[in-house]
Amino acid sequence: MKGSNDYILWVDNVIKTFEGIHALEHVSFGVKKGHIKALIGPNGAGKTTMLNAISGLLPPDSGSVYLNNQQIAGLTPDRIALLGLSRTFQLVRLFTINNATVLDNVLLGAHKHLNPSIFEAMFYRGRMKRKENEAKERALNLLKFVGLEGAEDALPGTLSFGNQRLLELARSLMTEPKLLLLDEPASGLNDAEVESFIKLLLAIRDKGITILIVEHNMKVVMKIADDIIVLDFGKKLAEGTPEEISKNQQVVEAYLGTQKNSCKVEK
Amino acid sequence: MKILSRFWWILPIIFIAIYPFTLGGNSPYKSGVLIFVGIYIILAVSLDLLIGYCGQISIGHAAFFAVGAYTSGILTAKYGVHPMFAMLIGMLISTALAWATGRPVLALKEYYLAMATLAFNEIVITLIIGLEGFTGGASGLGDIPPFKIFGFSLVNHIHYYYFVWIIVFFIIAGSLAVVKSSFGRTLIAIHSDEPAARHFGIDSPRYKTRLFMLSSAFASIAGSLYAHYMGFIAPDDFGVISSVNIMVMLYLGGIGTIYGPILGATFMKILPEITYQFQDYELLINGIILIIVLVFMPKGIYGIILKAINRVLRKV
Repeated sequence: MKGSNDYILWVDNVIKTFEGIHALEHVSFGVKKGHIKALIGPNGAGKTTMLNAISGLLPPDSGSVYLNNQQIAGLTPDRIALLGLSRTFQLVRLFTINNATVLDNVLLGAHKHLNPSIFEAMFYRGRMKRKENEAKERALNLLKFVGLEGAEDALPGTLSFGNQRLLELARSLMTEPKLLLLDEPASGLNDAEVESFIKLLLAIRDKGITILIVEHNMKVVMKIADDIIVLDFGKKLAEGTPEEISKNQQVVEAYLGTQKNSCKVEK
Repeated sequence: MKILSRFWWILPIIFIAIYPFTLGGNSPYKSGVLIFVGIYIILAVSLDLLIGYCGQISIGHAAFFAVGAYTSGILTAKYGVHPMFAMLIGMLISTALAWATGRPVLALKEYYLAMATLAFNEIVITLIIGLEGFTGGASGLGDIPPFKIFGFSLVNHIHYYYFVWIIVFFIIAGSLAVVKSSFGRTLIAIHSDEPAARHFGIDSPRYKTRLFMLSSAFASIAGSLYAHYMGFIAPDDFGVISSVNIMVMLYLGGIGTIYGPILGATFMKILPEITYQFQDYELLINGIILIIVLVFMPKGIYGIILKAINRVLRKV
């Protein structure tokens, strides 16, 4: 399976334990190139743990993760990022020290292209400036793309929560990722924002970027996902298209409780 | 007004250039005060790179100050090495030390990092005292000759004054170039949120170590300048107290601004020259002024000045 070129990401038998508690138990799945795959499940199912295991923030205890057929489990997040993976965080994590602006945040995504060094900063200012200007142009385009045009000089803290999420997205896109991991990007957005967010995600997919999204908002998931995997208590419960998942009895039970229980409530 | 906002930095440079002949009155003592200011500006600015920009707290900055001073002192006084080479060798040793200790030490965070750097400073001081035959031990190392450049000995205080300030100028310019570049942005990302920064391809241990090496090289230059100016150095000049003093300059001036530490170092070195007339009360008055500044100016002297300038600009 891992040898197949259809899959940009292949997760094989991943186990992650926190002090004896099994957060992930033998989870395997793949993400096809060019797809939007949704990772769903009740609270505590291990969704964010899965993303952390893939991105290298908290590497898995055992099992393999392949990005473009290359083993990445156990690599540091910066090595994984250089291989073409980028992510956003459930609680927005922007860079704010020393009055870093919105533009600074997006430009940080260009780190692997700029690859700055002290020597260059001191003695090759012209060359550095040229690279910086190219990156700046790309950054401004991306801000426009996500809908933050004109906000480049603002401080990230002054943006609304929804806009901070968009900024995180622009920063990740700046790395020119092959695979984008999104951790509950629609939480905290209002209905209008959700609608435009859906359009944005589809536009990103049309650029050829594969997306693995953890999301609670079922409306979003059903609208955009090509493919869904369901986790429950750290185990894979089901995998399939949105139609298959919405009809899957086990999934409905995991989300709503067993039928007996729900009947009792109605009485 | 526009011209002033772009070229304001020429004013302090003019002041420094004419000081020895005007306010300084050609007196070795008065130019000496500004030589010390210059040396401490180098220390404060180099520590600001580490603490203000990269967020790596170091209470051991004086250790590299010591390495520079003792390398220059020992090589020139005992082995007759040219001061220029001695200074370069001091920089090399400091940078190598920073490279060797950087990864393990900078892997620590916050208080643990502070404790490790403090211990590092103590180890260096203990070594200096212990290696008595080499360093002169606790009683210090004397007979350090004046700096020489291109066969020209800088015995005259005014010559040395200009030499020090040219180096100060280049170090400030270099530091500003670093922090305003994409390298500086990388440091700010590491400071803000290191795990998140790593997700953007930043190999943070490598970047922290590189910066640590630069900062140490600068501190080492300050040490060499200090040794040649004083002619005599003792371990007391480089202890943890000295490191803490440099930190106070940072916070006093305003961290993470480069200009702030320059102001802080100037303030801390000029203040005793003004309060010495209070004799026994000097320390008390210095302490009170420090507390007032630190409590009422959380963004330091630089913050206050910026605020004042903005207020004036708004009225204009």
